[in-house]
Amino acid sequence: MKAQMFLAALVVIILAGAGRAEVNIDGFLQGLYGGRLDNTNPTATEFTASESRLQLRLEQVGEKNEVFGRLDFTYDAADSARFDVELREAYLKTRLGDNFDLKIGRQVLTWGTGDLIFINDVFAKDYQSFFVGRDDQYLKAPQNALRAEYYGSVGSLALIWTPRFEPNRLPDGRTLSYFNPFVGQIVGQGYDASVPLPPAQFKNGEIAARFSRQVGGFNTALYAYHGFYKNPMGAMMTAGGPMPIFPRLNVYGASLRGQVLGGIVWLEGGYFDSRQDQCGANPLLPNASATAMLGFERQVATNLTVNGQWQAEAMMEYDRYKTGQASLGGYVRDEISHLLTTRITQLLHSELVTLSAFVFYSPSDEDLYARLYAGYKYTDEVAFAVGANIFDGQNQAANFGQFQKNDNVYIKVTFNY
Amino acid sequence: MKRLITTAVLALMALAVTHAIASAQDATEVMKKSHMAYYYAANDAVYEVTMHLFDKKGGERTREFTMLRLDKEDGGDQKYYTYFRQPSDVARLSFMVHKNATGNDQRWIYVPSVDLVKPISADDKNSSFVGSDFTYEDVSGRRWTEDNHKLLPESQLDGKAVFVVESTPLKPYKGFAKRISYIDQTTHIPLKSEYFDDKGEVVRVEKAVKIEDIGGFPTVTSRSMESLKKGSRTVVDFTGTKYNVGLKDDFFTERYLKTPPREYVK
Repeated sequence: MKAQMFLAALVVIILAGAGRAEVNIDGFLQGLYGGRLDNTNPTATEFTASESRLQLRLEQVGEKNEVFGRLDFTYDAADSARFDVELREAYLKTRLGDNFDLKIGRQVLTWGTGDLIFINDVFAKDYQSFFVGRDDQYLKAPQNALRAEYYGSVGSLALIWTPRFEPNRLPDGRTLSYFNPFVGQIVGQGYDASVPLPPAQFKNGEIAARFSRQVGGFNTALYAYHGFYKNPMGAMMTAGGPMPIFPRLNVYGASLRGQVLGGIVWLEGGYFDSRQDQCGANPLLPNASATAMLGFERQVATNLTVNGQWQAEAMMEYDRYKTGQASLGGYVRDEISHLLTTRITQLLHSELVTLSAFVFYSPSDEDLYARLYAGYKYTDEVAFAVGANIFDGQNQAANFGQFQKNDNVYIKVTFNY
Repeated sequence: MKRLITTAVLALMALAVTHAIASAQDATEVMKKSHMAYYYAANDAVYEVTMHLFDKKGGERTREFTMLRLDKEDGGDQKYYTYFRQPSDVARLSFMVHKNATGNDQRWIYVPSVDLVKPISADDKNSSFVGSDFTYEDVSGRRWTEDNHKLLPESQLDGKAVFVVESTPLKPYKGFAKRISYIDQTTHIPLKSEYFDDKGEVVRVEKAVKIEDIGGFPTVTSRSMESLKKGSRTVVDFTGTKYNVGLKDDFFTERYLKTPPREYVK
């Protein structure tokens, strides 16, 4: 918190100090209020969100350089009256010569082809925000990173180094409940959900790389990642019992995306190399897995867009996993786990009204997550939205099944300035 | 006598057919020249654009953006780049179109708040451009080869001599069933276009509100589109238009989609 305040102040000073050049300032003021629908939810509060947010964006651009800052001030009444400041972004972007771009600082990172599902995008996500109705931009959590990209005639090569590991932000029981494997049930507040980060050492940084190239009408890419699972997927035994950890991970993958049949098709695959348990012998650590995804999106009528995705994840050394889970008495997933998603977006009334539904459904885990949204842009400044997040599942330890008590509806009012 | 009449009728018919063909050729030539003058002036262009969207109650919304255009060849493929400034909820968002003159366009959007580059399925050129009364096709032009053209009697509009051309789509098209264009005989700039639906009613009317000479190219610097059924209207003002500035092909790639060429996009 202190560090963030300091960084925030620093950004303001740098931008203000830039003096001569013009600084663009804009942002928004937003109220988000949501309540859970399930009375049996073990969370401390009935509100899934009750927050006021001021986002301040500062930007200064020159011919070769660009400085950008995004600061969020929030007051959260759902979460024991907390005032918070978060530096969402603060970076310097610069062009070095004709072929080289550099982006240094706190930034949001995205690549890959999926729509809200990710294989080679091993950058930090914020599922807590995602599940309570915050704007789409909050699904991505920022990372402090250095991004270098080279653009050549054969293609472009991007390298991203994140010196300090940045994990996903997950429901922690305060406003959303989750499945705690150490307790064996869905829990709310009162359980320590914090997981120790890998020590701040040079070798514990994250490195992500992408090589991409246009081949005909298709954008193709190769990816590599060296770091850790972004969720605390593993545990290690300590004197005080098992302790959750972020196991080491490498990912290798490829993707392809282009125009086919009047729509967009995408195909992506990746191999998750669980570096601390490559042979799947340790039941406390995740097994390696291979994941593939296929998606297609098309505008089926004016202002009506529909897409669908299918993802299959195959676990390596499944028999060992099964034996291990049996010994722990945990949930046993399928060897090949399937996930189907669909998004339907309808724009109405000169694109001022957006109706959208996104459904994740896993026939393997027998669980689903539906995101429903209706938004209205009343003026250029004022926008209203209502939405719902609905979870269901047969198993409380499964991906979405664990959030089954978190069904919520929300209302959001935004004033853009 | 009978033979004479037959011959005369045949001759007249032949004349009429020849005239119709000539007229169709003239009409097509007019539409081609108009397309060139309107959408292909110079080899590249930079526009500062302000769009005013008026709803039927008179409420106004504005969109401000910079637009870059690069032609591969006159009348052929083009590339467009759009960088939004206003309203603030879409500020810094950029949008790119690779227009394929004879096939499907390719479109991409970059959403900076999530660092997301996304191709958009561009099957429907008839959908609205940023919620305005203009469609994507209005922005980058409908190729003259997609319609049948017929010259109607010449006329005057705003004190200028105009060709009047009636166009009907070769293939059934939901954008319009018929269009009548009023084209300046000297500059070939379309001064007015009326779009009819299949019931023969005018549904949209486009007008060139202001035309200026920029670097020797007659340029529409203010353009309006009225949707008669919806009761809405959009006025687009172009300021600081520059031609032949030397835009690079590179500017229309993912690299510049994510960081605009600041020489032209301040």
